Amino acid sequence: MSLFSVLSVSASGMAAQRTRAELLVENIANSETTRTAEGGPYRRKDAIFSSEPVSSAFASELDAQLNGSVTGVKVAGISVDHTEPERRYMPGHPDADADGYVAMPRVNPAEDMVDLMGASRSYQANVSAMSAVKDMIQHSIDLLR
Amino acid sequence: MLDRVTDSLERYMDVLSMRQKVVASNIANADTPGFKTKDLNFQSEFASALSGSQPQASEVAGLPVKNDGNNVSLDREARLLAENAMRFNLASSLIREQIRMVKEAIQEGKSS
Repeated sequence: MSLFSVLSVSASGMAAQRTRAELLVENIANSETTRTAEGGPYRRKDAIFSSEPVSSAFASELDAQLNGSVTGVKVAGISVDHTEPERRYMPGHPDADADGYVAMPRVNPAEDMVDLMGASRSYQANVSAMSAVKDMIQHSIDLLR
Repeated sequence: MLDRVTDSLERYMDVLSMRQKVVASNIANADTPGFKTKDLNFQSEFASALSGSQPQASEVAGLPVKNDGNNVSLDREARLLAENAMRFNLASSLIREQIRMVKEAIQEGKSS
């Protein structure tokens, strides 16, 4: 087992949290968007996380065989909210239907802001883990001096 | 390497880095639905590492499970992260001291 493979575990966590934060920011930015390429209003997106063994180089591959229980995290997919859009009465809006209702995205900015804070905290936790391991590696290297 | 103490310290650092890996993996999976916290049984793993076997991670019992089936407690992992780093630093300082002693013995021999 190598301390360097711990860095890739933390890196996978950071990448996953970053993807989640990107999606949340997209949701907040598009909370009033009524036109999209697929037609209709914007639909809320969310990342689905799943744990997976970190495997890139040969060494970590061998390591995963020896102790397969240690896993990183990856974004398994992006879920799109398919619930009915919210109908808001805005007769003057260019996208209003005959009755004066506009289909608006079902995005709750408060919910997304809270999730965004969670993503940011989790990202920081991964950064702390990485710097703790970095210190350990540095101490091992110092043995050579 | 040098003597039995250094050898044990080396194994100790091996177990510590393995444990750090388990902790990092728990932190990375803090938001993964259904993920269960894993840990090494430190005492028994160190004893078996001294005899040369690979440490095995197992699930931790007794942690509160969240709605999504995940039971990672960031407070617990942060504590373990700091604890492991400190133990590792201690072990590396001890090895360093051993190396320094051997080095000194070699140099004393040279100068005379």
